Amino acid sequence: MQALLAFEQGPPVAVPARFFLTAPLYLVLAGVLLAFEGQAVFASRWTPAALALTHLLTLGFMLQIMLGALIQILPVVAGAHLPQPRLLAAVVHPALNLGVLSLALGFLQGASTWMYAAAVFLVIALGVFIAASGWALWRVPSTSPSIRGLKIALLALLITVVSGVYMLLALAGGWPLVLDRVANLHAGWGLGGWTAILLAAVAYVVVPMFQLTPGYPARLAWWFPRLVFLALLLWSVGALVGVEWLVTVARVLLVLTTGGFVIATLLLQKKRRRARVDVTFRYWQFALYAVLAALTMALAEGVWPALGEFKAWPLLLGLLVVLGGDVAFITGMLYKIVPFLLWFDLQNRSAIGQPPPAMNRLLAEVEAEYQLYLFYLAGGGLLAAWIWPAAMVIPAGVLIVLTGAGLFLNLVRACWRYRGFRLQAVVNGERA
Amino acid sequence: MDFPAERTVDARFMEPPQPFVATMEMLDTLQPGEEMLLLLFREPHPLYRVLQKNGHNWVSELRADGTFAIRITC
Repeated sequence: MQALLAFEQGPPVAVPARFFLTAPLYLVLAGVLLAFEGQAVFASRWTPAALALTHLLTLGFMLQIMLGALIQILPVVAGAHLPQPRLLAAVVHPALNLGVLSLALGFLQGASTWMYAAAVFLVIALGVFIAASGWALWRVPSTSPSIRGLKIALLALLITVVSGVYMLLALAGGWPLVLDRVANLHAGWGLGGWTAILLAAVAYVVVPMFQLTPGYPARLAWWFPRLVFLALLLWSVGALVGVEWLVTVARVLLVLTTGGFVIATLLLQKKRRRARVDVTFRYWQFALYAVLAALTMALAEGVWPALGEFKAWPLLLGLLVVLGGDVAFITGMLYKIVPFLLWFDLQNRSAIGQPPPAMNRLLAEVEAEYQLYLFYLAGGGLLAAWIWPAAMVIPAGVLIVLTGAGLFLNLVRACWRYRGFRLQAVVNGERA
Repeated sequence: MDFPAERTVDARFMEPPQPFVATMEMLDTLQPGEEMLLLLFREPHPLYRVLQKNGHNWVSELRADGTFAIRITC
């Protein structure tokens, strides 16, 4: 029966765990950076501190967890088996972390050496990951919207990496470059393409499974990844050849498509059969409403383009999407995945007739709840810092540090308890 | 794909591992060549691997409401 989730064929729990345990430390680093350089962060999205902070969150936290989770769940969600998952993680994890840290230092110090180092490490980490997961995914037919979505998301990741490395080399080498256009596209492909399509492809499976909701309507599920990709392609063509109306049409299409997916998810959650409201559900609700607010802002900017001229406008939009939306969604997911993986490993190890401990003995709901409240406070702190940067960046930074530290503590505690139960399983005689 | 209720596992609102358990239990009651229907809101790739190992065939269809209807031959 344990073959249910095919983890026996999947990598051992230590493979994704290294990604999951490292990621919260980037929230801590982001909080420290905000506390010390917060006024520069809120001055403009182009300041070195703002660029460093953005990438600590998007690469150090978000991408880190997404890569670790994908190595583990591709066999389950797509029936796609990665070659050598342990070796893959052993290459991708250190290269990604060296890359993110070099990138942050490169931005903060304006040092080309760190930028070149970041380019090398990130190309290794993401090149190897894209090649391995692409090889595994394209060997399976697209029999479900999730598989199709994962393939499209991977293409979007490739475009994000190529555009990012190109800008990095241009910055380091002093090449001429229309930075804001390429940077907008890079952010669009990274957040709208890779992140949104990947989260949707995974949501098709996990929202009905964890929340006991109905499934996503098939037509929406098939078309969402394709429409997002099409919108991003039109946006890119319009921006690169200078056709403004095409850019506007593409951005409206992107906003409406993403909005449709968010509203569909909220409607499905209203029909859920699991009465209990857990931490994951609350994180996801927060994420969905934050993204909805960001999409409303983007639509308003389409109607009144002057709004986009305010320096603070894109900052709030970015905060809502990255921290309010993606970080919240991913953290909520982590609270389901980590206890489950640890519990499942214990179940496989436990002697026959001796069931593994209940999942909440690995990570208690109340522990996750305290961390959720810290996240709410950090969100409020950031909003206050957006309004009054001079007074509020330090409290907001401290609250983000506490949020990241709380998540780290919860995950380490779960792994520590797992270790104790595992030793107990050895004493009781592991299953052969 | 209209199947009698006694040959159908409607696992759409079941928590893991119940869909797997219910499917394997129903397969145990079938004779070789008989068919059953599994309804689920996701494609159960891990189950597919077990079915493949045990020599069962299956055909999967995604319905408009997001249900995967999987016809399994014992």
